[in-house]
Amino acid sequence: MLRTRSRRGGFFARTLPFWLLFVPMLFIVCVQLYPGFYTFGLSLNSMVAGARKFVGLQNYSRFFGSSAFHESLVHTAVFLAGYVSLTLLASLAVVLVLNRKMKFSPLYITLIFIPWVLSDVIVGYVWKLFVDPGAGLLTPLFSLPIFGLNGQPLLIASPPAQLSPNVPFPPAPAMLYLIAAASWKALPFTSLLLLAALQTVPKELVESARIDGASSWSTFRLITLPLILPMILVALFNLTLSGMNGVGMVFSLTGGGPGTATMVLSYLLYSIGFTQIDFGQAAALSVFIFGINLILIVVSLRISRSRAELI
Amino acid sequence: MQQTSTKRSITFAALTATVALLAACGAPAAAPAPSPTAAPAATQAPAATEVPAATATPAKQATEFVTWYQYDEKNEDPKNDEAVGNAYLRESMPKFNAAFKDQFVWVNQPQQWQKMVTSLVTAVQAGGEVPDLMHTGASALPVFLKQGTVQDLTDWVKAQPWFADLDPSAVQACTGPDDRIYCVPLAEQPNVVFYWKDYFPNGFPKTADEFLKRAAELKQENVYAITYFGSTGFEGDAATRYFYSVIASFGGRYDDGQGNMKLNTPENIKAIEFMREIVQKGYSSDNVFLGDFKEENDLKGIDPNAPRAASFPTGSFGYRYIQPVKAPNGTQYGNDFDPTGGPMLEAIAAGDMAISAMFTGGGAAQPGCHIGLSSFVIPAGARNPDGAKAYINWLMDPANGVEWVQKPGGGLPVNQKLMQEKVFDTPFYKQAAAASAGLCKPWYGSLVRLPEAKQIIAATIFDLIKANPTADIAAALQRADDEYNRGNQ
Repeated sequence: MLRTRSRRGGFFARTLPFWLLFVPMLFIVCVQLYPGFYTFGLSLNSMVAGARKFVGLQNYSRFFGSSAFHESLVHTAVFLAGYVSLTLLASLAVVLVLNRKMKFSPLYITLIFIPWVLSDVIVGYVWKLFVDPGAGLLTPLFSLPIFGLNGQPLLIASPPAQLSPNVPFPPAPAMLYLIAAASWKALPFTSLLLLAALQTVPKELVESARIDGASSWSTFRLITLPLILPMILVALFNLTLSGMNGVGMVFSLTGGGPGTATMVLSYLLYSIGFTQIDFGQAAALSVFIFGINLILIVVSLRISRSRAELI
Repeated sequence: MQQTSTKRSITFAALTATVALLAACGAPAAAPAPSPTAAPAATQAPAATEVPAATATPAKQATEFVTWYQYDEKNEDPKNDEAVGNAYLRESMPKFNAAFKDQFVWVNQPQQWQKMVTSLVTAVQAGGEVPDLMHTGASALPVFLKQGTVQDLTDWVKAQPWFADLDPSAVQACTGPDDRIYCVPLAEQPNVVFYWKDYFPNGFPKTADEFLKRAAELKQENVYAITYFGSTGFEGDAATRYFYSVIASFGGRYDDGQGNMKLNTPENIKAIEFMREIVQKGYSSDNVFLGDFKEENDLKGIDPNAPRAASFPTGSFGYRYIQPVKAPNGTQYGNDFDPTGGPMLEAIAAGDMAISAMFTGGGAAQPGCHIGLSSFVIPAGARNPDGAKAYINWLMDPANGVEWVQKPGGGLPVNQKLMQEKVFDTPFYKQAAAASAGLCKPWYGSLVRLPEAKQIIAATIFDLIKANPTADIAAALQRADDEYNRGNQ
């Protein structure tokens, strides 16, 4: 009897971690896997007269052939290129300054981190108010000839002549403004990552390089940058993923306009799903975006792992 | 021993949590999605005579009757854009509840107007809480029919005594391709042109050429000849307003009558060339493209430093939002936002503001415009369709319906008998009726995927007249046609 009890106790002791993990795993299944598979199923269906009808890959072929999709791909690429590079460069500049011993450093860090606590939608509305034609703080600035808007309000200013009707490039001023707003919002988090990395760079290495006569630029390029590169890569992929999926700021700042000049993939998805109420096609597009995200995550993990092995 | 017991407890707790989570996870899937059979089932609803009326035997306990309006009776802000509708609900809800004491208690759940259709579709599909009645435009019907969102009301509607008095074209707009009636129209909201008479002393121009000539003269006076909603915001709603008024008044349309988009026509090209000219020659201000209804300020003329416009093609209900206003002769109507929508009506009554049909262009015989229909739908899965039907019957009584048409309806009555009421014998209603009589049609024609169509059309026309004013019009319109029609295959 005692042995039996002991055995049962051993079974529970051995399997308890499994059971404890099982609950959170089930939670993930409920809130991620189940909706994921449901979305995939939805992408193969379409609503016809109130009934769901299996249409195979029709939803995919429809958006792949759609000019709105092609256009939004270009917009997304432009947005990501601008957003990621501007945010990384600005963050790098900020952390290089913050890393120095200065008076009131904690205050500067606190101030810089304010945008982080604001929601995308709020940031979008605030930046929209900045350029309101009637009362915007920045309106007089953007009306200067140097910006070339010819007196037009920034958010509806026409883009420069495009390469072709099918290639919406160069971007409209509203897209550049959206990039600036999104970078401002992302700056604190990226700065935090880079600042943490920068503070792990051994001071001895920097000092010995200086003693050996290396310039500031050489020290940064040959010592600091390689050491913080893994974190830059993390920040890069983080920014790419958030830029790819974020819809709040586009929603509140430009609404995808003027025309379709800031219609990025995530906003197109919102638009197809919740404006056009075509859940099948929206699901197909979200599966496509998921695929891109997955590729980015795998590449990110591979690079991080190979960097870790090198170090 | 105690340790084993503890582990067993933990395991038990984990399993309990697992079962709870599984139940929670499965719940949405278990919710009954509306099937196509749901709609016909609704036709089994009680016939007209069975609908509880005010005089019927009171039920033991009043049941909730839930509506979705874009109005919020709890919002008492007189400056709110929807103050007219908000105030109307605040006053009419107690009246309805008194009339149906012990039968129904009216509960309103306010919604954002531009999200209402999506909210209802998703609520029905997810098996969530749906209202018993939703106030909506008849243009939402194709979406509702595709998604199986609303109930078939044919048998009930046709059995009502007021059915014969409804404008047949309005009933047609509420009829699906299966010849079944899915909504009950109450008010017609034709698109008309509001204009300051001082700027058009000889009346509003009859042709596009006359308009351009006058626009050039007004420009010399620093007055923009026209303002309009030209933004691609609000899900492409511009396609239903000025863009359509011009296209229709040039003899054009958006469809081929067979469900396909057909923008690339000579009439539409001429209309877009005209709209381009308006922008290029500076006959409208940049406010028209900003969205958020900033273009309305141009007609109001309150701010002396803001652009001033002479005319504004928009829905007849626009009078409620465009206020206070200041006539070119300096007479100001209203000092603040008036919840009754009175200032514009006063300006019209005083003869400073007038209402006209759009001018014609491109050799078209007569102007055209979109007509919106303010109507009611009963969603699939509504818990209290009897309450909804009792409410519609209550509104068809002139004692209640006239006020509804005037306020939340914001237009002309679909029930022709109501048009004979004295309250509609005013300059505003007379001019609006004259400016739209027999001219206006729903913008979408035979198109079915209206939200998509609106976005494509608005973005294309915006691009051609604002963003890329040198682009090839025919090529851009053909691209738009191909984009939409791909979804028809």
